[in-house]
Amino acid sequence: MNWNAALPLFILASSLLPGLVIFFLPEERIATRTTLNLAGAALKLVLVGVMIWGVFHGHHYEIRQPMLPGLDLVLRADPLSMLFVGLSSILWLVTTVYAIGYLEGSPNRSRFFGFFSLCVTATVGVALAGNLITFLLFYELLTLVTYPLIVHRGTEVARRAGRTYLIYTIAGGVLLLIGTVWLYTLTGTLEFTERGFLSSLDASQYPALIIIFVLLIAGLGVKAALIPLHGWLPQAMVAPAPVSALLHAVAVVKAGAFGIVRVVYDVYGIQFAASLGVTLPLAIVAAVTIIYGSMRALFQDDLKRRLAFSTVSQISYIILGIAVVGPIATVGGLVHLVHQGVMKITLFFCAGNLAETLGIHKVSEMNGVGRRMPWTMVAFTIGAFGMIGVPPLAGFISKWYLGLGALDAGQGWVIFILAGSSLLNAGYFLPILYAAWFKSPAETWPAERCFGRRETAWALLAPPVVTALLTLAVGLLASAPFSPLQWARFITTLEYAP
Amino acid sequence: MNTTLSAILLLAVPGCPLLLAFPAFRSRLPCHFSCYIALLPALILLAVPTVFSVDLPWLLFGTGLGINGASRWLLGMSVVLWASAATFLYAPVSQPADNRFITFFLLTLAANLGVILATDLVGFFAFSTLMGYSFYGLLVNGGNKAARRAGCVYLCFLILADLLLFEALLIAAAMTEDLSFEAVRQIMGQSASPGLYLSMVLVGFALKVGAWPLHFWLLPAFRSARPAVALLLGGGPVAMGLLGAMRWLPLGEITSPELGLIIQGLGVVAMLYAVVVGLMRVQQKTLPACVAIFATGLFVTALGAGLADPVVWSRYGNLAYFFIVSLGLGLAVLIIGIRWLELRKPSSSPAKQGDDLTLWFERGFGRVVHWGGQIGFDTLPRLRAAWLADVGCLRQIRAWQRILDRSEHFLQRWIVAITLLLLFGMVVAFVGAVSLI
Repeated sequence: MNWNAALPLFILASSLLPGLVIFFLPEERIATRTTLNLAGAALKLVLVGVMIWGVFHGHHYEIRQPMLPGLDLVLRADPLSMLFVGLSSILWLVTTVYAIGYLEGSPNRSRFFGFFSLCVTATVGVALAGNLITFLLFYELLTLVTYPLIVHRGTEVARRAGRTYLIYTIAGGVLLLIGTVWLYTLTGTLEFTERGFLSSLDASQYPALIIIFVLLIAGLGVKAALIPLHGWLPQAMVAPAPVSALLHAVAVVKAGAFGIVRVVYDVYGIQFAASLGVTLPLAIVAAVTIIYGSMRALFQDDLKRRLAFSTVSQISYIILGIAVVGPIATVGGLVHLVHQGVMKITLFFCAGNLAETLGIHKVSEMNGVGRRMPWTMVAFTIGAFGMIGVPPLAGFISKWYLGLGALDAGQGWVIFILAGSSLLNAGYFLPILYAAWFKSPAETWPAERCFGRRETAWALLAPPVVTALLTLAVGLLASAPFSPLQWARFITTLEYAP
Repeated sequence: MNTTLSAILLLAVPGCPLLLAFPAFRSRLPCHFSCYIALLPALILLAVPTVFSVDLPWLLFGTGLGINGASRWLLGMSVVLWASAATFLYAPVSQPADNRFITFFLLTLAANLGVILATDLVGFFAFSTLMGYSFYGLLVNGGNKAARRAGCVYLCFLILADLLLFEALLIAAAMTEDLSFEAVRQIMGQSASPGLYLSMVLVGFALKVGAWPLHFWLLPAFRSARPAVALLLGGGPVAMGLLGAMRWLPLGEITSPELGLIIQGLGVVAMLYAVVVGLMRVQQKTLPACVAIFATGLFVTALGAGLADPVVWSRYGNLAYFFIVSLGLGLAVLIIGIRWLELRKPSSSPAKQGDDLTLWFERGFGRVVHWGGQIGFDTLPRLRAAWLADVGCLRQIRAWQRILDRSEHFLQRWIVAITLLLLFGMVVAFVGAVSLI
């Protein structure tokens, strides 16, 4: 096995092995657990960096293991997978630091961090999957390893949320499986291929392909929280803040959206999908989800619930960018995969800080919190403004390309969806900022913890500040080499090459 | 001038106040010093007598900063205004400025200077958005209830304005990759249907400057803002909005007599409105707002003339820069004068108390209702009451909320139903598959 074949395995192992070891660590071995967590995350980041460099310079990273006759387990690095793997690796490291601070002193940490590492392993597997069957395996593994994280607190509410999550995602997984098997019977292959592998099929198969498309999108749409399959996501908010951050920014929701991108581009091929007439309905579903999610967010007093509905809305930007069909909109959709992750993780970290430090869970409890926790609220402000699409933050870049792409593709109605969504985003984020910065603080906070002269623990404060800076940097330096925008352009060039 | 040096100098003009806006960077400086230090690069730039610009391809989608004769005047005005405001901020009679206020002050300053130096639409838009939001902070921070309400109206208008300008920006970007002012002006001049772009830019900047009939935030803002902030209103949001309209519109490149006539008409009405309101209002603090509405009306009339006849704009367009400079400085002098008069007679003329934020049409409607009641036509009050009740209900959006809550409740409670729906999908798929095979 040469280096190029081994690298994808090493990347998987960098989180898998620490995760397995951590399971067997006694609770009191804090230093060992922390070292393993951080070393694994840092090693993964380095390896992914090497791989990104290699992919950019045309190196081929692939490992193939026969599973069944005609079906291989394939891990392969391509520019699209690198976008997702890069995001997961960076945010995993940050989330690990945050989780260490967040769970300090709480029970069952070894179990938590074990599943936490497995969750990232499954996510990286989803990203590096070279065919639909490998994708499906890691996708289902992700479902299973995320469940213990959602029910981690062990309360009745947590268990109920976990149950709902399982019902939704397993049902979605079944649809995905049916679609995959059916597709295999038609084509005899499931390999992800640039511009898809279905356009050579006979026209008589097209109705079947449309049904398969619906099955695959419905299956993936559960995790991507497409309406009406999003019901699990707001309930899953009962999970600890690092898990929420992981669900919304790094792993589960992103895996669903990434899967849809894979199906549209590397299974069907965007042009073929458009010719089948399936992209417009997909765009409409995405548009409805964007508006509905934002409207629901508008009325939530629970901060994490508001953020959850915001995710429902924002994730569909990615799908909208894909479904609009056109190189510029694709850039917008792909870059939002990264930008949404960075912005949303910032917001969840901040929500976690408010809950852990002051016991604040509701928007109505946030009056004047900017004076008490200025760094946290500055990070939150940057994340919120990014979500609204204020320049020069990350969200502005995404909306710019989505809007421009819509005009380029002759789908002007998308502009109104973007404008409406921006208005609604302002409607549910700006009142939070107003309350936090301009209203008088309460005399006492719901459950205040003292951290000396600092507003909160370092491990809780540093991650949102870092991700807020990232939100600013990926927007401000969008045209710099190796920025997410440049990488999304690189992917699009390959996808739309003549 | 050396390219690197000019790039550093141009970047330092908005960069220095931007850095100082972070409390950590100014913690060792006396508070008022930071406001003056932030202006130093702009002063140095004013002292360099050459015209130069710099491209920043790594910033956003590739943007640029530059200075020419016109922007030098605007920069000069801004330096004078901001230095005066900083002095006003620390005058013994002023309300003391807290650390957060200084942050908003420096952020607005950075954005204001950036707007002046921007050489393309994206840079201008980014700086003007930053300016809008940070100016909101200036208006609201430490302000009374009236200031907060004024800020609220301003914020709503700002969001709408930014949305419209963003859409206009997209339209321009769809037509040309080069988004410099000159290139956009030319491409829009050649465009067969620039109507949507023109209307979005006009309405967007009208919202930003508070031009009539979108002036609702301007009156309460002038009245309720602290003196240092009121001083900046004319040279800040109003002047920069006018500058934006000038730079974004294809003036001198396009002939649109109908649109030009409509805009001129609006401008004239705005001036008349300002005169009438100015004569009716007894509060001194309202006077600058009326002057601003009058001046923007005049400017809008000039814009209309420019759109109707490009030759007129080509010949006299440059005067518009001087107009903006005079407006900013003139309003500042007026506000300082009014403040001086107030200080001289602190107790002789207490400010007229009243519901200043009531919209004029609401008051007009009230008068009609009153008159209707007097002549025995009592249906009107009922209509009015019903209308107000509807508006109240709409404001709370309770009905929508209830509908959405129910739908969400259904989705969450009936997870089995959702699962059945998915299973139904599978059955459909199998039936479809069997029939196809």
